[in-house]
Amino acid sequence: MISLIRNELMKMFQRKSSLIYLIIIVLAVIAGGIIYNKVVGEPNENWQAEVKAEISQMQQDSKEASGEEKQFINNQIEQKQKYLDENINPNAVSNWHFMNDVVYGMTMLVSLLAVIVCSASVSSEFADGTIKQLLIRPHQRWAILLSKYLSLIIYSLMLVATLIAAGYLVGLVIYGNGDFSAKIFDMAIDGQKETAVGPQFFLKIAFYLPSLLIITAIAFMLSTLFKSQALAVGIGIFVLFISSSLGGLIVVLADKYEWAKYLIFPHLDLTVYALQDKILGDITLPISLTILAVYYAFFMAMTFVFFQRRDISI
Amino acid sequence: MAANALEVRSLTKVIGRKKIVDDVSFSVHKGEIFGLLGPNGAGKTTIIRMIVSLIKRTDGAVMVNGNNLDGQFKETMSEIGAIVENPEFYKYMSGYKNLKHYANMAIKDVSDERIKEVARLVKLEDAIHQKVKTYSLGMRQRLGVAQALLHNPSLLILDEPTNGLDPQGIREFRDYLHSLAREGISVLVSSHLLSEMQLMCDRFAIIEKGKLIHISSMNETMDEAEAAEVVFEVSNSKKAVELLKGQAAAANVKVITDDQFSVSVEKSAVSTINKLLIVNDIDVYGISRVTATLEDRFLEITNKEVKEA
Repeated sequence: MISLIRNELMKMFQRKSSLIYLIIIVLAVIAGGIIYNKVVGEPNENWQAEVKAEISQMQQDSKEASGEEKQFINNQIEQKQKYLDENINPNAVSNWHFMNDVVYGMTMLVSLLAVIVCSASVSSEFADGTIKQLLIRPHQRWAILLSKYLSLIIYSLMLVATLIAAGYLVGLVIYGNGDFSAKIFDMAIDGQKETAVGPQFFLKIAFYLPSLLIITAIAFMLSTLFKSQALAVGIGIFVLFISSSLGGLIVVLADKYEWAKYLIFPHLDLTVYALQDKILGDITLPISLTILAVYYAFFMAMTFVFFQRRDISI
Repeated sequence: MAANALEVRSLTKVIGRKKIVDDVSFSVHKGEIFGLLGPNGAGKTTIIRMIVSLIKRTDGAVMVNGNNLDGQFKETMSEIGAIVENPEFYKYMSGYKNLKHYANMAIKDVSDERIKEVARLVKLEDAIHQKVKTYSLGMRQRLGVAQALLHNPSLLILDEPTNGLDPQGIREFRDYLHSLAREGISVLVSSHLLSEMQLMCDRFAIIEKGKLIHISSMNETMDEAEAAEVVFEVSNSKKAVELLKGQAAAANVKVITDDQFSVSVEKSAVSTINKLLIVNDIDVYGISRVTATLEDRFLEITNKEVKEA
């Protein structure tokens, strides 16, 4: 099995695209660092005075406003006051803030690149006709497919590792080594949550990994279903974007229909659990993980059963 | 008794309601080149793909050196080297890396020395480190042979191996197959090119509409043909033809030129005709048998099948 995986990795890295994707991530992080630095600017030493001034300005506005607007402004004042009470600089910048604000957001890019590579994996062997030379070897089909899948997992993790390493280095160059456990407020659906910046970043990455696993499993399944590489990659990317944009619709659906909670889409983004304990009313992290595990088992079973039975007649 | 290199027993493939391959059985002896012959779409490729397990068998068994493919998949597959239609390679890798890739998948250890040796054997040693996308079709075909031979298989299975090769390439390929067979490697080869099979194979089977309709050795086929065309060179062909028209043994008597005519007769009747001509004062300068090509034979066999059906 190890020699099969080594073969798959060799094929992967003999392709220029696999290396280019890693470079794209590094370039994106560098660009993100430069833009973030321009927009956020240098850390402000006098932030307390500034926040106080903002609050008094808002209190003025609040007197003049009425109804919902007044409510909204009061909420804002409350939040600003929290920063003062907890002594947290809302505009603080450090390499860890950069990681949490910008680098984490780039996991979307990792998902996209992982989907492209995974959905091309088996379909490209079909498109090039190399699949028939591959399957006349003294190895069972499932073993060959498994070696492909495992090498894709290794590559996906390399993408994530590249993102984190590049983020850390770029942050280090621009801001120097900041306070790993600086306190921040992170935005959640039901208000703000006080947390430490470094651990929050790694918590979000940890919650991101299961969804990466599922997304790549779907892409891998597509790549065994289609003989055309372009079709497999196209549908893979389509599924990726559909799943990230369906979230809002599912929330509405789940209010009306209980079954909507068990669709895969609301569980694909587990990072909400880094900020809150429940989604869709009563769904907790273990429930979400169980639902994902069921879907994962289903996708994998489909992939392997289909591939095992398939007649190779290209 | 030593087992056959390949034994195929009542191989059947049904897709939907259609029988693509219908109860095909044959065997390939050790050191023999065996041809599967048939028009396009007859099921040759499906048979070959079932033997190398690219396509699932609906029914039937495949034995290689006495090992059953079902029970001993790994042992059986490591005895087989195959090219299935045009050999496809990872074009973005060098020829050497491609071979290395397949060497890694072999059960028996394939050394780097062996890879170089095989590359030399197919005359690719100068280009082996170039990317496959720079290779010509002939070079790819040779690399295909190299990957099939890499792990020292005892049975070589080639599906339409000369597709896309130029005449020079075809000839080299044929010579190469003969030298492999002399070394004791058995070869199963399929083609729709009859003339080529005639030069390549020791024995062959004809497949039509998924059925095996004929199986014999190349020499048998040529001799067995009931009536062959014979050309006589004589002093007066018109007179000779008049004479022969009354004879039952001679059919299709035709004047070719003033001193040549042709006639379809069985082998034994040739001398009878000769005697008849001489007795009737016609000088005979030459008798030559027009060798029936495999193509004629093939059409003869398949046409007979059609009539019987």
